[in-house]
Amino acid sequence: MQLSAAALRVARRSARAHFTDPARKRGLLVAFEGPDGSGKTTQRKLFKTWLKSEGYDVVTTKWNSSDLIKPIIKSRKAVRALSPEEFSLLHGADFRHRVEQIILPALWDGKLVIADRFLFTGLARDVARGLDLDWVLKLYQPLLWPDLVFYFAVSPITSGKRVTATRMPNFYEAGQDVTDVEDPVESYQRFIARVIREYESLALIFNMITVDAEQSIGDQHRQIRELFLEGQRRPWSPWNTDAVAEWLAGQGMAR
Amino acid sequence: MKASKARLVSVDGVDASAVIAAARRAIVRPGRGGVSHWDASGIFQDLCVADAAAGAPSARTLLLLYAADLAFRLRWEIRPALAAGRTVVAAPYVDTAVAFGRAAGVPVGWLTNLFRFAPPAAERHFVIAKRDAASEDGFVGLACHRVHGVDRRARRKLIGGADAHLRAEAKRRARRKKQ
Repeated sequence: MQLSAAALRVARRSARAHFTDPARKRGLLVAFEGPDGSGKTTQRKLFKTWLKSEGYDVVTTKWNSSDLIKPIIKSRKAVRALSPEEFSLLHGADFRHRVEQIILPALWDGKLVIADRFLFTGLARDVARGLDLDWVLKLYQPLLWPDLVFYFAVSPITSGKRVTATRMPNFYEAGQDVTDVEDPVESYQRFIARVIREYESLALIFNMITVDAEQSIGDQHRQIRELFLEGQRRPWSPWNTDAVAEWLAGQGMAR
Repeated sequence: MKASKARLVSVDGVDASAVIAAARRAIVRPGRGGVSHWDASGIFQDLCVADAAAGAPSARTLLLLYAADLAFRLRWEIRPALAAGRTVVAAPYVDTAVAFGRAAGVPVGWLTNLFRFAPPAAERHFVIAKRDAASEDGFVGLACHRVHGVDRRARRKLIGGADAHLRAEAKRRARRKKQ
């Protein structure tokens, strides 16, 4: 679909009107971010169960999970064939496809979307692999900002302990493509320290809500509920106009 | 010095078979150069066999995939050949993807950033297509066929738009050369 300037103008108006209409149930986007072993998936599941019991219509989307791009990434990871640029671009494509196919349609329908990892995962990992933050961030444009981002903070030691307690980290998870360390556990420790450093900077820059993921599961869950109840009243972010407008125009839905 | 003869030449256009033919002609000494083709990584081949239920990709998604394929070609084909002092003809290279993106309405700033990792070609050639010449074995033809929401008429417009961007770029280059 060709996106003309006129179609985008109309789409921007539609996006603003749709998401700021007080009579309409507004869609919400909540992202869970953090390094491997930070317990986000456990918290995401608990949060989803609670939201459903409260009557929310919930949609979940996970990192690297689009039906179209995931198989492409998976087969290349299996043969360890990805450079940092290819890794970044393919994950960017997977993210873009999920934004257009899952996240935006659900938000438009007034649903609550939980993203188990969002674009910040791409930023933290790619920058830890030596790529330029500005280049990577622009790949994700037009940017779609979540209403709330929970960052699950753990130390590299805790992350390493939790991940290696039950399994061996895989080649890319351990960052062996950039550390050149043969032992996956040792490589993971080095790589995750870099990833966490990037996450911590991003958490500050993008105003994420930091959850101390060294606390008990119950304490974290209670904290998330409280923060969500406060945060869900935030107004729709006009920063998201371009992302919604491009999607609407691409679908021929601008009216 | 081997490296001094190394040269990256780009050949871009919407008509895949004409681009390949032009690329072959661009290699002056066949023993000292080669052509780097689109989809050397097989990403688009994999995309073509994907389940239709996965949803059609947008122009931006296709461009991200094109860039991933180009990163692969640079790593395995283009840079090693240049390092060995050979001439490499990249057919297509960056201009074809940019022209498709521009025709689809993708902002030029995003396209410029996307291909920032690709070194500029020492020589750039443009193949101007005959009417509706984009076949599905080239990036523009396949992208126009796969991109979300594009019917036959819109596809033709998109291919024409990409070709017009390439013509304009070729004219700009020619003017700059004269100056």
